[in-house]
Amino acid sequence: MILSACHLGPTPYREALALQEGLVSARASGTTGDWLLYPDHSPVLTIGRGGNPESLIADAATLKGRGIELFEVARGGDVTWHGPGQLVGYLIADLSRHGRDLHRFLRDLEQSLIDALAAFGVAGERVAGRTGVWVEGEKIASIGVAVRRWVSYHGFALNVAPDLGFFDLIHPCGLRGIHMTSLARRLEEKAPTLAEARERVAVAVAAAMGYEGLAWKDPAQARRLAEEAAGESGPRAEAHAG
Amino acid sequence: MPISIVVPQLGESVAEGTVSKWLKAQGDKVRKEEPLVEIQTDKINVEIPSPGDGILERILVAEGTTVLVGTEIAVLSGAGEPAAPAPSLAAAPAVASAAAPPSQPARAGAPAVASPALRPAPSTGDGSSGNGELQVGDGRSLSPAVRRIMREQNVSLAELAAIRGSGVAGRVTRDDLLEYLQSRTAAPARASAAAAVAPPAPAAPPPAFLAPRLAPAAAGPREEVVPFSKVRKLIAENMVRAKHTAAHTHCFDETDMSAIVGLKREWGPKLEAQGVRLTYMPFFIKASVLALKEFPWVNGEVRGDTMVVKKFYNIGMAVGRDEKGLIVPNLKDCDRKNLVQLAAEVNDLAARARADRLKPDEIQGGTFSITNAGVYGAINSSPVINVPEVAILGVHKIVERPVIRDGQIVARPMMNASIGFDHRVVDGELAVKFLRRVCELLERPELLWFHA
Repeated sequence: MILSACHLGPTPYREALALQEGLVSARASGTTGDWLLYPDHSPVLTIGRGGNPESLIADAATLKGRGIELFEVARGGDVTWHGPGQLVGYLIADLSRHGRDLHRFLRDLEQSLIDALAAFGVAGERVAGRTGVWVEGEKIASIGVAVRRWVSYHGFALNVAPDLGFFDLIHPCGLRGIHMTSLARRLEEKAPTLAEARERVAVAVAAAMGYEGLAWKDPAQARRLAEEAAGESGPRAEAHAG
Repeated sequence: MPISIVVPQLGESVAEGTVSKWLKAQGDKVRKEEPLVEIQTDKINVEIPSPGDGILERILVAEGTTVLVGTEIAVLSGAGEPAAPAPSLAAAPAVASAAAPPSQPARAGAPAVASPALRPAPSTGDGSSGNGELQVGDGRSLSPAVRRIMREQNVSLAELAAIRGSGVAGRVTRDDLLEYLQSRTAAPARASAAAAVAPPAPAAPPPAFLAPRLAPAAAGPREEVVPFSKVRKLIAENMVRAKHTAAHTHCFDETDMSAIVGLKREWGPKLEAQGVRLTYMPFFIKASVLALKEFPWVNGEVRGDTMVVKKFYNIGMAVGRDEKGLIVPNLKDCDRKNLVQLAAEVNDLAARARADRLKPDEIQGGTFSITNAGVYGAINSSPVINVPEVAILGVHKIVERPVIRDGQIVARPMMNASIGFDHRVVDGELAVKFLRRVCELLERPELLWFHA
């Protein structure tokens, strides 16, 4: 199977969520293959199902003042930040191809990111029990996935060159002080651009997750597929009623 | 037929999942494939669809609870079935004919309905039918949890049939079965105990020290499996990480607490009158901060191949919270606070730690920690470093002990102090000097006045 990759360009978070849900429906009913979507988000905080309100340091007024939206989403994990300088990748993949094994899927996803980092000369590593990718004890990539009808959505966020100050608004993922890092901080002027990182990560995902190839697609195609799936199924419950 | 909703297999190494959100409420009508509940494991949140049409009869596991794969989390009543187990009028004749004496032939057309209730359990060994549902003779289906317990405890179907089920349509639930097992194990235990205390010959009683001192074994299982809470998991991770990364070493000293005991005795009631309870912790913090200023490397953090020396003093204090688990909140900028402020903050922080009311930043950003095992009676300890910090001070119970002063044996309130330090960055010399300095500052608090 070929992995379809797609750079969506600037995408509001809500829109990206709807797009993913549409593609999940399409994937589950077999009308399309697996997708890797790259949105460009303006600053947004999202709280996963593992989250609690105390992980948020900033209050609602501060967030509003800085134009940061807050979403509660059905992915795994605690609170995280997305925004400029970060490579956010959403993977719509049929987990039946991955043995319906959630941990294997997470580990494969981590491996993709570790491989991509290695290509830039950064030694990423796993920390047992703390999903994500770490460099010398600091976190460089976060992972949070949701699964519906054995199709994954949401995915990963790799810090290429974001303003790491945004992470001070939250306690990423847990109780203890987690230091975030980025490719820019590790490599300084030798750090790759977002576009370079985007391509390298797509190749690494396709390789580490066992795809036969990678094809870049027009975002319009992804949007059309998602809309069709949403249009024909209506409420989710009806999707399999027949 | 009620359908049991269980946590499905989510992967080879996935043993448990946390119910993160119920998407349907008890009593809701659901359709096949409609999302019912979300289960989270690691960083993946999975929607579990309904296996069929029906009504969500009962939610058995609340949101936030972590359960093993295979655990029954809800019961769905089948399509078209009445939600209540009360027999409908149509079912009544079947019951009547089943109860009728066998000599009286069942009405034509009815036997197919009536006889299953009387037929013995299927003879397929473990009694499971093709679709994986285990049924008792009367058609009650069993959850995987019940089946597992039956297997483990060798409960026969005949025994099970005798249990009055409290579940939907008289189903035997896990709790029913556990309750039954308790009475099952309790009964023989009582019988054998009675036999043991009724010896046939009235021999002289054995000496008291030979009599069994243990109370008879309590009824019920001898082990209890308690899944780790989120806090416990984090504690476990942090402890193991601390022990794996820091080169833990300890050394010990002792200090004469006469001066501090005197200060506390004098100032305790005065502060109490102003609403501030004075403990020893603020004194330990004060002494530590001054010693840290004199030995800056102890107030640091290992980051990769670097040692980061902190110029601020956020002092963590370990707070035990029984089964809720240890937590180490820290007091910010202790170098800029006086003893009374520290006392108030110590009390506030400890109270909120016990009430789970800490703010996230209060458990982050510490630079050095103190643990007082003395509150539980310890006279010495070798504490684990609160990584990424590089040292932790252990303080203990203050005990009146004979010591020599000016050639005389006198009683003094003495306290052992210990330090756990990361020998990668803190040399023994440094640790000993630091600890000695803390002890000295406690012995002669006026030094705080001269040096701070």
